[in-house]
Amino acid sequence: MIELLNVTKSYNAGKANQFTAVEDVSLDIKQGKVTVLQGPSGSGKTTLLTLIGCMARPTSGRIILHNIGPASFGEAGESGMVEITSLPERFLTGIRRTTFGFIFQHFNLVRGITVLENVMLPAYPTGERHGDVRIRALNLLEMFNTSRHANSRVDLLSGGEIQRVAIARALINNPSVIIADEPTAHLDTKLSSEFMAMVGTFKDQGKTILIASHDPIVYDSAVADMVIEMRDGRVTRSGKAL
Amino acid sequence: MNRPLERHRNIVDFALSSLLRRKGKNISLLLVYTLIVFIIASIIFFVQALKREAGLVLKEAPDMVVQRLVAGRHDPIPVAFAEKIAAIRGVSSVTPRLWGYYYDAAIGANYTIMATDNNPPEPESIIIGSGVARVRRLAKGDMMTFRAYDGGINLFEVQDILPYASELMAADMVIMDRSDFRTLFNFPDGVATDLSVTVRNPRELTTIAAKIVRQFPDTRPILKSEILRTYNSIFDWRGGMLVVVLGVAVLAFIIFAWDKATGLSAEERKEIGILKSIGWETSDVLLLKFWEGAVISLSAFLFGVILAYGHVFFFSASLFEQALKGWAVLYPRFKLTPAADPYQLAVLFFLTVIPYTVTTIIPSWRAATIDPDAAMRS
Amino acid sequence: MTRFFPMRKSTKFFFFITICTLLQAALIQDIGRSQANSRAITAANAELVHRLMLTDLCLFTEARYTRNPSLTDIHSAFQDHPLAMDHFPSGSLVAPPDFSNEAP
Repeated sequence: MIELLNVTKSYNAGKANQFTAVEDVSLDIKQGKVTVLQGPSGSGKTTLLTLIGCMARPTSGRIILHNIGPASFGEAGESGMVEITSLPERFLTGIRRTTFGFIFQHFNLVRGITVLENVMLPAYPTGERHGDVRIRALNLLEMFNTSRHANSRVDLLSGGEIQRVAIARALINNPSVIIADEPTAHLDTKLSSEFMAMVGTFKDQGKTILIASHDPIVYDSAVADMVIEMRDGRVTRSGKAL
Repeated sequence: MNRPLERHRNIVDFALSSLLRRKGKNISLLLVYTLIVFIIASIIFFVQALKREAGLVLKEAPDMVVQRLVAGRHDPIPVAFAEKIAAIRGVSSVTPRLWGYYYDAAIGANYTIMATDNNPPEPESIIIGSGVARVRRLAKGDMMTFRAYDGGINLFEVQDILPYASELMAADMVIMDRSDFRTLFNFPDGVATDLSVTVRNPRELTTIAAKIVRQFPDTRPILKSEILRTYNSIFDWRGGMLVVVLGVAVLAFIIFAWDKATGLSAEERKEIGILKSIGWETSDVLLLKFWEGAVISLSAFLFGVILAYGHVFFFSASLFEQALKGWAVLYPRFKLTPAADPYQLAVLFFLTVIPYTVTTIIPSWRAATIDPDAAMRS
Repeated sequence: MTRFFPMRKSTKFFFFITICTLLQAALIQDIGRSQANSRAITAANAELVHRLMLTDLCLFTEARYTRNPSLTDIHSAFQDHPLAMDHFPSGSLVAPPDFSNEAP
């Protein structure tokens, strides 16, 4: 599981426009379950996701990974614990690459290159055989019905297609945790339901899923195991989904 | 499975994709870069080949040439000096040289007229350089007219034409026997243009030269080492035109590097943030930027040098002809034997590749090290 | 799933670099070979220089002092007038000879 202890994130600390996005958040993300962060925009959901996904460091507090991710980290003790808040940048990137698959709200695909290359991109620095990665990428695109766009430029796709490519990219390194930020923001009802169905499939594969959303289709979905409500950077309520 | 190598190849792949996104801009950049390398490498090859040729051929130049100066100007030297100089210890022979210039008003060309005792042509016949033959469209057996100093016209028959391969030293030559020379120029007996001195021991040249000057203070000896040195410093980088060319090249390199060094656009910064967010380390991003720079500069260098070699040694540096010809009407056509100065080529390599590559990496450094979240927000 | 895929860009690039480098190596080889082949011609030219007692290459036939740069004295370029500038284009290519070793 992922343990958060008193995590706070402030921007522009000490200046007049100091802004605290996440305030004193403590919670546990259960392994192999789907956790949804629910709340209006500005509630700190996105910031919390970036902190968990090793993309930013909290101003204070600790984030600890228990038994998650490849065992081959030098820092992991016998209990399989990794405290990411104290890791140097170098190791953080390794964890980011192998443990987490991030699906951004605005997808953040690299423009001007092909869909296939976008999906393979996270695997480039690992030095894995190009042919193997390519096959895996094509399989993922096939799984999400976008393999016919494999050699098209990303700029030419529709919103839903881009999102599926973004999901495929998040999965290329076979991460154990999938983090999605407002995944249904650009999707209609049908595609949103399809997305939640996919999430169910990932859960069946043993992955941990963390989604931030203010879309009822997501937090009211049968697939969601735990819903955590946030407002103004704080957790207001957390409990099992209905 | 060779991980480091595969990682490099992957990053090169992406670097190439990245460059291909802006095909037009990067291709024109490559072309201009190649052009500059081409010009400088052509100069390096050309000068090196010419210097080498000069060195090899002028080894046979006279050990010493003694000129006479009157009122600071070059004046014919009395042949009587020759006997006295020949008497100096260490001198093995002194030969008076009879040569001069002739301006052909019909076409505006300058010829060098040389009189020789060594296999001279028949009387009233000349042996001409292939450049003269070309410019006057003369063949063996044709007649060539010269205006004599007394206003009269002298006719000479072309007995022979020097081979094409000798253009570099004798393209503009007109060789005749001594009496024809003196008649043509009304050159007085008893004097010569200068004296060619041969010494037994080359190491004594300076001493002998000093003795000559002591004995004949109005003379000026020119040593073979000085002749060779003139051609060793030919086309020196301090020469006017080459300073301009070099300056333009350096300026161009600076402009390219500047374009890269003045920071990244917001889009590039965001993209680095994206790469970091999907798991690329700082070192991966910097390697990417390195390859983006290296692909262009390396290609430009290789292309430029290969093209320069072809230009200078297969096309006789035809692009330089206009510059070298200047106002001359008669310009020698020569095919240079290939030669290269590896030191200068190495300097060119470093100048081409390193600054550009470095300035591609440095502005990315900061973006590559900050948190991906911050990079994507900005 | 297809097993055949087009050549990677990096492979093409490395091919290109390798070919260029090999070409450069071949050209360097060519230098040696050409120099060996031209020995006869160079020898013939050297013989010509020896026979005619020449002191200069025939590069710049614009004027007297450009034709024989190794024989020019200090004043040649200015003999039209003490303040006359060097007015032939080849003057910008060839620096004046080094007179530093001349006997005073």
